[in-house]
Amino acid sequence: MSVGHLLGVGTGLLTLTLLAGCATDPGSKPVDVAGGVPVGAVLALTGNANVYGQDQKIGLELALQHRNGAGGINGNPLKLALEDSGSDEPGANAAFTLQINRGVLALIGPTLSQQAFSADPIAQRRGVPVVAPSNTATGIPEIGFFISRVSAQSSVIAPLAIERALKIQPGLKRAAVFYAQDDAYSTAETTIFQKALKDKGLDPVTVQRTQLNDQDFQNQISAALREKPDLIVLSLQAVDGGNLIRQLRELGYKGLIVAGNGMNTPNIYPICQKYCDGLLIAQAYSPELDTPANTAFLKAFQDAKGGAIPPQLTAQAYTALQVIGEALVRLDKRQPLKGATLGNARKALMEEILAGTYATPLGEIRFTPEGEVIQSQFFVAQVRMDPGGRSGRFALLK
Amino acid sequence: MDLLQILVNGLSVGAVYGLFALGYTLVFSVLGVINFAHGAVFTLGAYFTYLLIGGAVGANGLLAGFQLPFALPFWGALPLAGLGAALVALLVERVAFRPLRRRRADPLLALITSLGAGVILVNLIQLLVGAESYAIPTGALGGLPASFPLLGARVRTVQALLLGIAVLLLALLTLWLEGSRNGKGLQAVAEDAETAQLLGIDSTAMVRLAFGLSGFLAGVAGGLVGLSVSIAGPYFGIGYGLKGLAVLVLGGLGSVPGAVLGGLIVGLAEAFVPADWSGYKDAVSYGFLFLVLLLRPRGLLGRPLPTKV
Repeated sequence: MSVGHLLGVGTGLLTLTLLAGCATDPGSKPVDVAGGVPVGAVLALTGNANVYGQDQKIGLELALQHRNGAGGINGNPLKLALEDSGSDEPGANAAFTLQINRGVLALIGPTLSQQAFSADPIAQRRGVPVVAPSNTATGIPEIGFFISRVSAQSSVIAPLAIERALKIQPGLKRAAVFYAQDDAYSTAETTIFQKALKDKGLDPVTVQRTQLNDQDFQNQISAALREKPDLIVLSLQAVDGGNLIRQLRELGYKGLIVAGNGMNTPNIYPICQKYCDGLLIAQAYSPELDTPANTAFLKAFQDAKGGAIPPQLTAQAYTALQVIGEALVRLDKRQPLKGATLGNARKALMEEILAGTYATPLGEIRFTPEGEVIQSQFFVAQVRMDPGGRSGRFALLK
Repeated sequence: MDLLQILVNGLSVGAVYGLFALGYTLVFSVLGVINFAHGAVFTLGAYFTYLLIGGAVGANGLLAGFQLPFALPFWGALPLAGLGAALVALLVERVAFRPLRRRRADPLLALITSLGAGVILVNLIQLLVGAESYAIPTGALGGLPASFPLLGARVRTVQALLLGIAVLLLALLTLWLEGSRNGKGLQAVAEDAETAQLLGIDSTAMVRLAFGLSGFLAGVAGGLVGLSVSIAGPYFGIGYGLKGLAVLVLGGLGSVPGAVLGGLIVGLAEAFVPADWSGYKDAVSYGFLFLVLLLRPRGLLGRPLPTKV
């Protein structure tokens, strides 16, 4: 087959795909609220980011219960359709497209920034509001008008952990940095960490690059330990980060470790076990926040999970659905969803989301016109493992 | 000191690759096809080990909260996990390979059926125990230290054990292949199954033996890797599966010592990647494989293909 033929076939397939996409776009149809007001979520429930997706799923379930317990969307229940991204970009793209074609009014997700940079443009092109519950990389809301997030970006939170490390051990001089070079979150966050270190006069003595699916880090650790660091700063996800911490400690590193948002989950406990102890992480959520919204969330989570402490990702996912639910209630009062075309309702919902102020488990939040979250309080926690090293908690540092 | 540290790192990682590729090699030597379900059997070995030492299933999956009523020490759990994995490998042979072999189907089809069996196994794991990560407790090796010094280098105890066990298994396997009736029978089937059958060797039994051994090795490797790092969900064998394939080809298709040699070489190639470039170690190791195959297409210890006239 000649190149010309191949190009012809390729163009034909592309045209068919585009036509199929247009044919299934329900934007011009009325909003279908017969079985409830449809909202979609795309989470990493399988694959290497599944540990986050599982935390987020619980948050969405609790928020859904809360919203529907409070009357749903003016008497009509909120209906949530959940899809798995499989922790990768093609999976996230396919799940976004499926949800949009189903006629959802808004989307929550995807779990990772890496996936968001791939899937969010689909929602932006199709005019579907997205509230990201856990994307912290720089540039997410900038994808377009329809993209917002309730997860504060790394540049706001990450430096707090460095400041805290210096408060605990003011004489720190030699910082070693690790990050996963094939992950958008990790590469964005390490830039912020490295700038924060330089601002504090702590030029990294070594920067080690890993890959998201790595499990063995002996080479990078050996190279880093040769530089005799007294502070190690990680921008990694939970599984690779947990393994790296364990191997660091097993190979004799005794200094402070600061980790970024990717390790901000109790799912690291079974991986690094007793070696997680002492890990410093800046957080956007504290279970100790004394507000009515957090008290209600905390109680709901503990009732569902036998008294466990909710992780940040659960609180943020809860917040994302809470924001969409409250915005839908306001929109439906002002401009009833029933009878509106889906395209118009989606655009009006995005405007409503951006206009609101929300009392959430994260504290009071609102949005910039670009969709960036404005949150007033952040925290730094230190992991404290139980004596057996099987479970632990994020202890808030005052 | 740096060189020794790099050697230690490379050999310990390479031992895992070699152990994994041994299982591929055994099946390839008798059937001439690659068993793509091997990675899933390896994964199962890790989960079996975790359960046998008393680990509990997490909050997701049909078996949420399940825990065996007993807890074995790691060294007791590991061979049992290997046996469990061997049984699963035999099941894979029965379901995905034997029906095709009986119909004398194109061996290429077995690649697809084994891939299907692997996908089903991985999904079954997820259905039963969820997708979360599990880890074998750091204290599973009893009073052994987490690491020890060696001539200025620092070695994780579990990595030294991995290297030792891989070498031991290779030695035992070589002795068994060369010194036992079944081992020689397996080699005869690998050489020419039809001639072996005419000589009175039950080739079907030899194929089963190859699958059982392959599954056992995968199960033990899975348990050891689970101890060394963590069981990062049902998919964690996939990466090792890909690397195992590279090792298999590098060492020479069907060569037992080639599998171990290939594993150690790939491990060392990765370890010698400068630290600043360590994020590209896969590219370096696969590039190295590419170069070796250009110069020696049958792999390092593979036999030349017979010339057909």
